[in-house]
Amino acid sequence: MRRAALLFAYSLKRVRTLAITTGILLAALQLVLIFVAGSIQTSGGFAQLATLIPPFARQLLGPSVAIFMSFSGVVCLGYFELAVMGALIALSITLATTPASEVEIGFMDLILARPLARHWIITRTIALTTVVSAFMLGLMMAGTWIGLRLFAPEGVEWPSATLINSLAINLGLLTLCWGGVAMAIGAASRRRSVAGGAAGLLAFATFLLDYVARLWQPAEKIAWLSPFRYYNPFDLITGNALPLKNLLVLGGIALVGFAAAYVLFARRDVSH
Amino acid sequence: MAPISIRGLTKRYGNVLAVNNLSLDAIHGEILGFLGLNGAGKTTTIRILLDLLRPSSGNAFILGHDCQTDGLQARLNIGYLPGEMGIYSDLTGREVLDLLARLNEQMIDRQRRRELQDCLEFPDSDLRRRLREYSTGMKRKLGLIQAFQSDPLLLILDEPTEGLDPLMQESFYKLLVDVKQRGRTVFMSSHVLSEVERVCDRIALVRKGELVLLSGMEELRKLSARQVRVLFFEDVPVAAGLPPGSEIVETGPRSWNLKVEGPLGPLLKTIATLPVKDIEIEEAKLEDVILKYYRDGKQ
Repeated sequence: MRRAALLFAYSLKRVRTLAITTGILLAALQLVLIFVAGSIQTSGGFAQLATLIPPFARQLLGPSVAIFMSFSGVVCLGYFELAVMGALIALSITLATTPASEVEIGFMDLILARPLARHWIITRTIALTTVVSAFMLGLMMAGTWIGLRLFAPEGVEWPSATLINSLAINLGLLTLCWGGVAMAIGAASRRRSVAGGAAGLLAFATFLLDYVARLWQPAEKIAWLSPFRYYNPFDLITGNALPLKNLLVLGGIALVGFAAAYVLFARRDVSH
Repeated sequence: MAPISIRGLTKRYGNVLAVNNLSLDAIHGEILGFLGLNGAGKTTTIRILLDLLRPSSGNAFILGHDCQTDGLQARLNIGYLPGEMGIYSDLTGREVLDLLARLNEQMIDRQRRRELQDCLEFPDSDLRRRLREYSTGMKRKLGLIQAFQSDPLLLILDEPTEGLDPLMQESFYKLLVDVKQRGRTVFMSSHVLSEVERVCDRIALVRKGELVLLSGMEELRKLSARQVRVLFFEDVPVAAGLPPGSEIVETGPRSWNLKVEGPLGPLLKTIATLPVKDIEIEEAKLEDVILKYYRDGKQ
């Protein structure tokens, strides 16, 4: 256990610059979004924007349009904007494929030549992915809170704490889900680029599936296969409660991924 | 309890047989050289000992503990130098040594590390540098320090002098003498024959995954034929009745060149009646024997 804690501390130290930089950028993005939303709100821009969109377009785009026509909606954008989701998932995949990287460079030879059980490598990686993902979301939430304090115009309605928490929890589980998938692939791979690339491609493909299914009915039949289907921020912003099913599915995928990683890594040859 | 005991070890990669029914024991306190050409199965065997690879069949034991089923205990007292030091280049040398020492759950023995640094001429200033600034030789020295620093009962070294300059090789040999004197066992792979001849007590030679020779250095020298040149006062025709193990290679004016395997006594007895002026004996070369096994396999 002490060895695993030591390895965790070492791994955390190695990724601290990446994690802090990404976290600060994501937090800064929240500040920028709130600043912009505040400016639009102050200048009465949301009302003007609403009149610019023709009714047919509003109907075509659905409730998401209404979300972007409000201060609260733009503030929440920081939790489902493509770049934010991409950054979090990419970071999660990178961290989850740490064992593959350690096998690739030969570092695994050195650490496993010590009296350290293989399962601690996976436990360390799960802890690393979870802690860093939580840290990212914590910084984003801190950014939102600071941004609202600094830039929210007086009298404007803030998004509720429950809404921000729900978005963060759901996004966090989506991130962890991809961490689990990447970990399972990485536990059986010799190259981080292969494991990360495969997990990244899978994430992109399932994102497209979910996106296409929202516009094209036939794809809806298989859209349940996409983890992105279980993160629906528009539902949350329009006042619906965070569905337990979403949390269970995303958490379940993450757990299955972690379990597969334990099994695969225990059985494999560690050879670079 | 043998420091290393390997029984019928086999490792297959698909159709490729990397290690084939290998059995050998290391003796406590010896330096056992593990020889073979590239791809002979040396590193694969070492990796199985460390449970990095799982054998297709057979068993390997370290200090009585099965490397696969009781791997943690087996690896409790090992110092390992891999063929390539795979370390993240953003770490300093000291961070690497500290991390690897702590993973052994041992107190960092500063005194021991200082001795190793002095022996390998590796100053503190180098330990403060990041690995990306290290040369190949420096990485090798760092690898040796990390392997030796916990003073383990068994050292497993994969091509230890690869990348070391001749002076550092000398320092390394002194280090080996030192650990041997303190009763440690060393299992080292190498294909530098002069090095093996100099430092090893025994050698195990593998060829295409099979053990083709396991022998002490003295016995090995006996296996080798000595070159004997006999000079005469006058021309002497080749005698028909040369003793077994003696073979004429060349005859010249008033001289014979012979290859003699085994004791010299019978040959000396045979030529005692001839007008011998002088005898020149060239010591057996270990290299010749090993190269023969490299080429031909099991005799």
